[in-house]
Amino acid sequence: MTMWTWIRVMVCALVVIYMLVPLAIVLIISFSSAPFLTFPPPGLSLQWYDKFFSDPAWVRSLLVSLQVMVPTAIMATVCGTAAALGLSRSAFRGAALINGILMAPLVVPVIITAAAMFGVFRVWGLYGTLPGLVLAHTILTIPYVLSTVGASVQLVDRRLEDAAANLGARPWTTFRRVTLPLIFPAVLSGLLFSMVISFDELIVSLFISTPTVRPVTVQMWSNIRGDTDPTIAAIATLLFLFSLAALLTEALARRKSGQPDVL
Amino acid sequence: MLARMKADRFMLLIAPAVGLILIAFAYPVFWLLLRSFSDPVWGLHNYGTALGSFIYLKVLWNTVSIAGSTTALCLLLGYPMAYSMVHSAALVKKLLIFVVLIPFWTSILVRTFAWMILLQPNGIINDMLIGIGLIDAPLDLIFNRTGVLIGMVQILLPFMIFPLFSVMARIDTSYVLAASNLGAPPVKQFFRVYLPLSLPGIVTGSMLVFIISLGYFITPALLGGRTDIMIAQLIEQNISEFGNWGLSSALAIVLLVGTGLMFGIVHKVFKVGPDVRTT
Amino acid sequence: MKKFTKNGTFAMDATDAEMSRRTFIMASALAGTALSTGLLTSSPAHAALDLKGREMVLASWGGSYQDAQKVSYCDPFAAATGVTVIQDGPMNGGKLRTMVESGQPIWDVVDVTDIFLYANAKNDLFEKIDMSIVDTSRVEPAFVHENGVGCIVWSYNVGYNTDAFPGDNHPKTWADIFDVERFPGKRMLRDRVYPTLEQALLADGVAMKDLYPLDVERAFKKLDTIKDDVVWWKSNSQSQQLLTDGAVGCGMILNGRAYDLVKKGGKVNISWDQNIQSIDFFSIPKGAKNADVAQHFMNYMTLAENQATMANIIAYSPVNPAAFSGIEDKVKPWLSTNPDNAAKGMVISGAYWRDHLDELTERWNQWKLT
Repeated sequence: MTMWTWIRVMVCALVVIYMLVPLAIVLIISFSSAPFLTFPPPGLSLQWYDKFFSDPAWVRSLLVSLQVMVPTAIMATVCGTAAALGLSRSAFRGAALINGILMAPLVVPVIITAAAMFGVFRVWGLYGTLPGLVLAHTILTIPYVLSTVGASVQLVDRRLEDAAANLGARPWTTFRRVTLPLIFPAVLSGLLFSMVISFDELIVSLFISTPTVRPVTVQMWSNIRGDTDPTIAAIATLLFLFSLAALLTEALARRKSGQPDVL
Repeated sequence: MLARMKADRFMLLIAPAVGLILIAFAYPVFWLLLRSFSDPVWGLHNYGTALGSFIYLKVLWNTVSIAGSTTALCLLLGYPMAYSMVHSAALVKKLLIFVVLIPFWTSILVRTFAWMILLQPNGIINDMLIGIGLIDAPLDLIFNRTGVLIGMVQILLPFMIFPLFSVMARIDTSYVLAASNLGAPPVKQFFRVYLPLSLPGIVTGSMLVFIISLGYFITPALLGGRTDIMIAQLIEQNISEFGNWGLSSALAIVLLVGTGLMFGIVHKVFKVGPDVRTT
Repeated sequence: MKKFTKNGTFAMDATDAEMSRRTFIMASALAGTALSTGLLTSSPAHAALDLKGREMVLASWGGSYQDAQKVSYCDPFAAATGVTVIQDGPMNGGKLRTMVESGQPIWDVVDVTDIFLYANAKNDLFEKIDMSIVDTSRVEPAFVHENGVGCIVWSYNVGYNTDAFPGDNHPKTWADIFDVERFPGKRMLRDRVYPTLEQALLADGVAMKDLYPLDVERAFKKLDTIKDDVVWWKSNSQSQQLLTDGAVGCGMILNGRAYDLVKKGGKVNISWDQNIQSIDFFSIPKGAKNADVAQHFMNYMTLAENQATMANIIAYSPVNPAAFSGIEDKVKPWLSTNPDNAAKGMVISGAYWRDHLDELTERWNQWKLT
């Protein structure tokens, strides 16, 4: 091996450790038997998971997160997919502008979005409500769905749609029987993305939620600077497992969708 | 007849998303930005405060310098990593992609929390360094710039690696081979041929990392020290603790204009934009 | 010093803070003689109330203290009335002010320091205490304010990690905390203007009795000398984490928070020299949605058995003298009202801070950023 290759391999090893160590630490500490965040833990126990699930505040916030996540994912996926189809199947002037508007929530720094929504949602009565959180999260996730589904729609062979139409299929039937199956993996990706993003979202939620309606990430935030015990690690591990499950499902969907291309 | 529908039908498909974003995003942002001129009275005084006082200028400088350092470090670590991802055997490649993806999908809060444990003076990192005899006394790794950078680079590294990866994967290795056949030494091959070919990836990745860093909030708040305050923290604090909407929104505009300028410059100079699909 | 209000109860003025020191000591001394039956006979007739299904948000200081409040006040209150008490925090003065100004406070009861209460009562930040609901007769008069009822009595102490400073050579005074030569390494202080200015002046050699009015310039000058050696904690739990982890070797910690650490096996101790005594109050933010529930909650908080539970969990002294008889012996040395401890320290001046908090907070925020 040359010196350069050596350096490269070393850097890669470092990056791998760097990426994975924090997760490993959280995982291990969540099973700690110590009352503080000591590492390595003196023994193992499930007490922090127990504490998490027996504390009404945590359970309540977990429920809020789920109540926000499901409608958000559905709304963002429907709106985002529709917009992706609309944009790809029409070449009108201003399509670029519309695309820009739709992607804006991704580009504008989140802190600005958060402050802006906080100000306006208070006037609209959406501050500290489930609909407010759902609306905010939907806005934040639409760009992800749009770009995921948009990329996939571009790849659909339009002659298939035309063929269906020529055979007398109505637009909705064409969409349901031809287009949707082809873009389905991307739609599923979009759905999973929006679920994960909504579930993990902190900054906007921090501004527009109140103690009575508070997602789990905000509950974590208010505890993280405070609590000296590993309950946070337990919930962090659960969040991590959730993301991992979503990621694996997504990868699986992609693999399945890859097959027709190969054949 | 999806492909032949009239334009207005397509508009109907786009309308819900556009409507939602205009009402619940564009309007609030506009409302916020207006505050910078109107709160508490009409005028430019908020900009005078934001750009005229030493303290706020220092925070702006902090923001730019933290974002810059983060970008440089991400590039330094991300480039060799992306290279290895492209030029490895299939299994190693998959493994490396997985390693980069997994933390990417783990909440920022969780990872920052992990660093809070790891970077303590008697945390694992210091214990290990002392254990192998590299240092005698614990290093100051948290509540300072070092802590902020360690946390932010880890979180933003995927945003550097994926654009680099997608560009490098498309590089035609026959160019490098040709240079090699012409007798160029490996280092020269790299700097003359490979590096320029991977430039779009470097630009996109760096810009993504830099722009995301500019608006960062969680990591500096938890891992930084007294002087590592970034503009996003200042905006948050001014709204939630001081109720100073005018100054906050002036700072928000500064941040927004800065971000926009970055996009513009990079787009003009390098003719590339960030490929959002890689995020 | 005490002013009679219309309904014949005492309203405490900030200048009474000095008084409270004597009260602490008196209350502790009385503790032995108080009848334990007093603990059990004071349950109010909550059965008649119709608060079932209501919610109320308590904003406090998080961590072990708020956990203790949950057990001592919230759970019994919830059990008796059917009210769901939601915990929030950490309490933040700026946030409280902003939300009251916006007209939509999300907190119904806030746990505030005496300083914050005195300084902000004049800003119309709080609802009035409804003395017909809150039975203030069982609370020491010094702890009753028109806009708040005392909940605990406590102190700011010099704390240290016993691993970092084993044996006798450990920081004992604020001068030691400010002495980076003798006690090297990071130390921690509260990221707030009070009692940091007091601590700086005490460290600079000002005597406890000559502290007020504060020599602000001198205090900031002294603070400049250790600015970069200090980790500024924002929540009390953070102070616990920092000290028990050894992230800092020494610094300022509250007596109850230190007790909590020691109870859990943390290698931490405190010195009582120059301890700065203070009071926490429960208040209701102006315009709070569930202010009516909050009034009843306050009343419940002052019950002797609840106050004693609190002290036994986290070593914060009660405001209801009848509670002293319910406090376990092992907790007593940790109480700031313990005559030995009280004698070594001083009471923070409510009168001074009532008039200077706003202006000095601004100065503090500027100083921190430079």
